[in-house]
Amino acid sequence: MKMIPQSLRGVWALLALAGVLLWGTAPLRAAEEHAAAPTAGAHAEAAPTEAAAGTAEGHEAPAVVPVFSLKQFAFSYLTAYMFCLSLCLGSLFLLIMHHLFDAGWSVSVRRVPEQLASMLFPHMFLLLLPILALQNQLYKWLTIDPATDHALDVKKALFNRTVFNILVPFLVLSWGFMAHRFRSLSLAQDKDGAAIWTRKARVLSAWGIYWFAFSLTLGCFYLMKSLQYQFFSTMYGVYYFAGSVWVTWITVWVLALILQGRGPLQQVVHNRQILDLGVLFFAFTVFYAYIHFSQYFLIWNASMPEETFWYVRREHGTWKWVGFTILFGHFFVPFLALLNQDVKLKPAMMLPIAGWAWLMHYVDMTFNVMPVLSPAGLNLTFWDPLLWFGMTGILLFGFWKRFHASPAFPLRDPRLKEAVTHHEIPPAPESASAAVGVTTAAHH
Amino acid sequence: MSASTNTSYGLLASFETPADIMDAAIKCRDAGFTKWDVFTPFPIHGMDAAMGVKKSQVGWFTFAGGFTGFFTGMTMIWFMNSHDYGLVVGGKPLFTPLYAFPVSYELTILFGSFATLFGLLFLNRLPRLHHPLLAVKNFKKATDDGYFLCIEAGDPKYAPEVTRTFLVEQCHARLVETVED
Repeated sequence: MKMIPQSLRGVWALLALAGVLLWGTAPLRAAEEHAAAPTAGAHAEAAPTEAAAGTAEGHEAPAVVPVFSLKQFAFSYLTAYMFCLSLCLGSLFLLIMHHLFDAGWSVSVRRVPEQLASMLFPHMFLLLLPILALQNQLYKWLTIDPATDHALDVKKALFNRTVFNILVPFLVLSWGFMAHRFRSLSLAQDKDGAAIWTRKARVLSAWGIYWFAFSLTLGCFYLMKSLQYQFFSTMYGVYYFAGSVWVTWITVWVLALILQGRGPLQQVVHNRQILDLGVLFFAFTVFYAYIHFSQYFLIWNASMPEETFWYVRREHGTWKWVGFTILFGHFFVPFLALLNQDVKLKPAMMLPIAGWAWLMHYVDMTFNVMPVLSPAGLNLTFWDPLLWFGMTGILLFGFWKRFHASPAFPLRDPRLKEAVTHHEIPPAPESASAAVGVTTAAHH
Repeated sequence: MSASTNTSYGLLASFETPADIMDAAIKCRDAGFTKWDVFTPFPIHGMDAAMGVKKSQVGWFTFAGGFTGFFTGMTMIWFMNSHDYGLVVGGKPLFTPLYAFPVSYELTILFGSFATLFGLLFLNRLPRLHHPLLAVKNFKKATDDGYFLCIEAGDPKYAPEVTRTFLVEQCHARLVETVED
């Protein structure tokens, strides 16, 4: 546990290397793509419904969007925003689950997701404002007349400017409200240790889980899925959810380890918490793959143009390789790496996996957002790492300040004792542990 | 068992609470016994560590089973739908891992769980028709409210009187019985 700084250096090196590779070769690959596929033809093939509806993007948007343009900035910004929103919404989900299941083990790490989720207000709300300001750059449906486009006409009850501008800020505010309520209930319990605060949090979770599921789906429909408003997928919400919670588990794992290793959680967070956070991260590795495979498989199997165009565009040019990166990097690599139980307690393994998970979730967000801007293939600009690191930096810096402004764990939660004392058995002396035979395995 | 001079299977100590038997298990572990086991009406969290039980090897059986299942599914579907008797469904390719995945995935689980079950039975030398402990009348409480710890006579550190004294005085057993083989 004391080797964090060294391992962290490894993580940053890995991230930097991946960044250099992706970013540095982008112009080369873009040029290659350009030569290989004339853009006009590419567009017509990539979006049959868009073409059918008479709004083929290829005829309007220039093939390459200038780096210094509002459009490029808006798309890079949205990708980074969706990544940060994942961490906050994932943390909110962790809190809801903690209270719904009346969990004991996670009490000692609970303040990490509490503080992280509370970044939904004001930070994530303020960071939303540029998206609202740049809405015309991002969402094409805002600028076309529903009467000329059947695909939009049938969805105009939701997809119109008024509802968008009221509902999206409202959703973010409602998440902020829930997160701050969890946090303030928990902080109130620090003062008197009364069980009523736990009960209130449970009541909040009970209705909150319904609102969370509904609002998260609506939120990512508006912010991300509506970039291609013709698309249909009822799994899109749970797909964003699965990736979000996945990246949140590993983030909380790393934060818990850092706070345990050199600080305030030393006395209350033990191997058990670290292991279980890792186990749940592993579970969501599988869950995400299950969800994303299901979405792809059902669309592939049904083969209806109003659904397939979304994936057809993402199999075009270098996007195909981004898709394979998600298949192998988002699932197979972490799955196989985490299959052995002991790995979840080894920082030397888990910290690089954490860096990798962050990168993969960002790739996943890019895969969702960016093909709309550059159909020919992946085209990273300096905006992407800048906004990604910048926004996560703001988020984590704000989190760190907020975390240290109040007690590091729920001081007087009635279940804290359960979390701290449960399952802690003194380890066997070296000689004895090696001598236990096969017969004792009958206990499993 | 041939090492011991009498015909006893071992010593069975009984305890009243999970905490007592946990404490006793830690003491037996640290005393270096190798052939011993505990019996409780329900799983006691942390008992593995208290007994010093090493990580179970069953996972390897599961992995081998799952791996076999996955490739059985893929190979079977490729052979049947593409190689042996090409079958066009919905204008899709004759074979792609995509549509073969759900079935392969199910076979991964099926073979994995079979391998887990049979691996578990194999490692535990099960099934068997009788066990000396079942002849002890008091032992029936192990499925109700009794907590038992048994040190077998085959343990290299076993010595009838010394071990009995150890169980009573060090582990605070409520009762220690000799189990006939």
